[in-house]
Amino acid sequence: MSDMIKCPSCAENNLPDQEFCQYCQTRLQPLTDPLDGADAPIKPGQAPTKINTAELEPILPQWLRDARDSARKDDQQAAQQNLQQPSQPKPASSAKDPLAGLQSQAGDEEDMPDRLASITGVTSKPIKSRTESFAVRWVELGGKDDFAKDESDGSSSDLAGLKSSEPQPDENNEVRDWFRNLGNPEQAQQPEQSDSTDSDLPDWLTQMATKENLQPEGTPPDDSADVLDNSPVPSSDVPDWLRVLGSQNEKSKSADSADHSESSVGEPPAGIMSEEAESPSDSPKPDQDKSFEWLKSTVPATSGEEIPDWLSNDAAVPPTFTAAEDESAELKDAQSNGISDRSETVALQSPIHTESEEKSIEPAQDADTLGWLNTFQAVSAYQPENSLAQADFTPLDFAEDFQASDNMDGLFTDIPDELMSALEAPPSSLPTADAYSETIAPDDQTSWVEAMRSVDSGISKLSSNFPADQTVESSGVLAGLSGVLPSGPGFAQMSRPKAYSTKLQVSDEQQAQAALLEQILAAETAPVPIASFSVLRTSHSLRWFLAFIVFVMITIPLFMRTQMFSLPVGVPMDVNGALQVAQTIPESAPVLVAFDYEPARVGEMEAAAAPMFDQMILLRHPHLTFISTNETGAILVERFISGPLAVHNYQSGIQYLNLGYLPGGQMGIRAFAQNPRVTAPFDMSFSSAWDSIPLAGISSLSQFAALIVITDDAEAARTWIEQTESARGAVPFVVISSAQSAPMIQPYYESQQISGLVPGLYGGALFEQYNAGRPGSARSYWDAYSLGMLLAMALVLGGGLWNLALGLRERVAAWETQ
Amino acid sequence: MVFSSDLVTGLLSFLFTILIFSYLIGDNPLFRIAVYIFVGVSSGYLAALAWWQVIVPRLIYPLVYGSVLEKAFTAIPLLGAVLILMKISPRLAGLARIAMAFLVGAGAAVIIAGALSGTLLPQIAATINAFDLSAASARNISVVEVVFNGAFILAGTVFTLIYFHFGASTKADGSIRRLKLIEINALVGRIFIGITLGTIFAGVYAAALTALIERISSLINFIGNY
Repeated sequence: MSDMIKCPSCAENNLPDQEFCQYCQTRLQPLTDPLDGADAPIKPGQAPTKINTAELEPILPQWLRDARDSARKDDQQAAQQNLQQPSQPKPASSAKDPLAGLQSQAGDEEDMPDRLASITGVTSKPIKSRTESFAVRWVELGGKDDFAKDESDGSSSDLAGLKSSEPQPDENNEVRDWFRNLGNPEQAQQPEQSDSTDSDLPDWLTQMATKENLQPEGTPPDDSADVLDNSPVPSSDVPDWLRVLGSQNEKSKSADSADHSESSVGEPPAGIMSEEAESPSDSPKPDQDKSFEWLKSTVPATSGEEIPDWLSNDAAVPPTFTAAEDESAELKDAQSNGISDRSETVALQSPIHTESEEKSIEPAQDADTLGWLNTFQAVSAYQPENSLAQADFTPLDFAEDFQASDNMDGLFTDIPDELMSALEAPPSSLPTADAYSETIAPDDQTSWVEAMRSVDSGISKLSSNFPADQTVESSGVLAGLSGVLPSGPGFAQMSRPKAYSTKLQVSDEQQAQAALLEQILAAETAPVPIASFSVLRTSHSLRWFLAFIVFVMITIPLFMRTQMFSLPVGVPMDVNGALQVAQTIPESAPVLVAFDYEPARVGEMEAAAAPMFDQMILLRHPHLTFISTNETGAILVERFISGPLAVHNYQSGIQYLNLGYLPGGQMGIRAFAQNPRVTAPFDMSFSSAWDSIPLAGISSLSQFAALIVITDDAEAARTWIEQTESARGAVPFVVISSAQSAPMIQPYYESQQISGLVPGLYGGALFEQYNAGRPGSARSYWDAYSLGMLLAMALVLGGGLWNLALGLRERVAAWETQ
Repeated sequence: MVFSSDLVTGLLSFLFTILIFSYLIGDNPLFRIAVYIFVGVSSGYLAALAWWQVIVPRLIYPLVYGSVLEKAFTAIPLLGAVLILMKISPRLAGLARIAMAFLVGAGAAVIIAGALSGTLLPQIAATINAFDLSAASARNISVVEVVFNGAFILAGTVFTLIYFHFGASTKADGSIRRLKLIEINALVGRIFIGITLGTIFAGVYAAALTALIERISSLINFIGNY
């Protein structure tokens, strides 16, 4: 029988290997695979999660506190009215106030356990008797000032607060009636109890009551434990998983001490337990009687037609008690630390969203009507004498009150989707308890439940070491809540940060190492001296000495106007070519002269060019046209005409014409070679150049009789040679260059691109020999020049020999040492 | 006392020559004064030269007094000048690229064409024709001299080019060296290069010596005249 699976739709039994109901084709086996790994359900013997309900008070929102305050006031007024009219109980709850039924009871303080006493701030009183009648009572969360007291009492105190208070015999009687009604449908149909609740109860509860009337009698009327033990429900109707749980619970009871077993068995679900434990109520609450009244009518109504989810959850609560039994010790520890617990927070926000209830969700989904009834009766049967905690089987009351509230949806906002889906699932889709007897073991929890357990345990460990954080959240979904986020390392700064000195604290060894590092870095960045040559150490004085020698050797011949050295003999071919040009140009022929040298070279260039121009003027009286690509060339032309050639009295515009500066560099020369009239239309006096006498009839470069370039730069000579090569034709081309650029221009003569070359003072001296010694500047410089050149040769030779001697001496010394 | 222009120019020349010669004792304020004066005078002279030698005769005058064709041709460089002036504004500096591109392109074309036609090809031809006896006879050069000059020029050219050949291979010991034949020829090339550099140095020394002689001679002449 136990292997049969009861269809959740038609309640017919099916074979366990069938996937679908053979009567209504409803799926019997779940589609999901068994959970394993991280999502595996919690197994028996696994460490339970610490549940701390003591610090829920600080996290309550202000509106809840206000509601509670107002409810407390109403309770006080109602208590006074009850004292005056004890026979007229008030409704258990108000539909407007969802927590109205959570009124505290003044009498609870007498039985308040230490951990709850620490919450309320009232010293707990010793538990009078375990056998006292108990009753399910609503406990309201106390005020903030009522918390945070010592909860160092033993586990026995956990359930002390759950006991019914003695000053409320009526209430206890009501509780007993509640259980009494489990087996006594007649009392459940008492008009005075049902009248007040029928109007508030939904239809399904009414139907449940009707079903309950059909249950056999035999439930002990006075004690819930007896009710459970003596439940007349046949064991065959009890689901297997409940039967197993009952047997386990009995085993645990026999093994544990009396207090422990009492607390473990009777410990309610976390959420509800938390609310009860945090109740700082001062006065009894007669309104709760109403909640039991409807429960009286609810419990017998165990028809299998429609079972609400919350009621199904209640059917699975006993297993959670078993699970919570193992957690009682840790729970007390956590509560004694006075630190808020996340599980409690969750439980407070949503009473169903507790660990214990989460365990019971799946069974509730599987339970049908009959199964639920059997379950409930089975629970009553396996609850022994310590039915005090079982009397706190308040989820029914709470759920009723909860559903009666207008803000029910808002309280479910934090329920996980799985739980929400379970709650919202239609009863017809719920499998039977038998079908889930194996998969919904008491410790079988889903992954998110397990995750919550782990988080809670971690947080409770953290919170056990740090005081509670009463910080009120200012924004977000937790706005208005205080102490929601637990304090701990990494979560918040618990104390004033330690002041550290800004001074570097180093030891002597570290300082020594730092100094060593600095030395290494300094050595790396220090320049490495390059080995210098010892022979150059006296260069400064040697330089002064050489300068003095050269200066004296030059000044003396110039000052004395000596002619010790004869002019060079023989005419090189390049100079000879220039000489031929100077002597062969036509009479009064136009000659184009390019002045492209720097003023610093005036002495050399004039000495080199003056003999040729003197001879050429003397012999051919050419018309000279000067142009310069150098900015200072124009004034150097004037200096040249008025200096070395002053004796010829050449007049500008008549015998010579200065075209001035030719801009554009190589492009300017190229343009001038192609079209000189357009490129240089004016002379220095800003008059038309090409209409003057020197340029009369000249329109192109090839019409000049000769082209002479006076330059100290080989590049200038090369430019003139390159850019005028195609334009000048067969016009003789002579370059008068400086001595420093002559070697570079010599190849152009060898390649016959130029007709002659006059290299510096040497070339001028040659020309003077063929010009009767005129103008004589080369001759005046020649002795000094010759001495200077001899001195240079002597110094170079002497220096070389000196270095050779030094080198030989070093080598000999090195050879002798070897 | 009347100061002639020759006396003034002679005094200035003597003074600035002494100031420049003071550099022999190192950098000093007198030398700096002379240099700054030269720089300032040169700048002023260049500005005047640019105005009177370039802008007025080659830009303004054609635009004012030139024909239509001259004005049209002058407008092109004027536009180029305006575009180059756009470099003053960073926002319009890109416009100057047009004129600069024209200048760079035209300049490169002129230089390359001139170098090819005026230097490279003629120099190669001259090296090849070093042994041209007919050309040598035309210049009244003996055959021996032609052969010797041609061989010397050819050897100098070849060995110098070999010296600048830096291709090498890895030896067995791991060292990287050129071939032995190339090494020997490169050594000869180094001799030719040394001779060339010595010649250039001699020319530089001769030019500087001539300039020094001229300056000292001018000082002596100035002192002797006055």
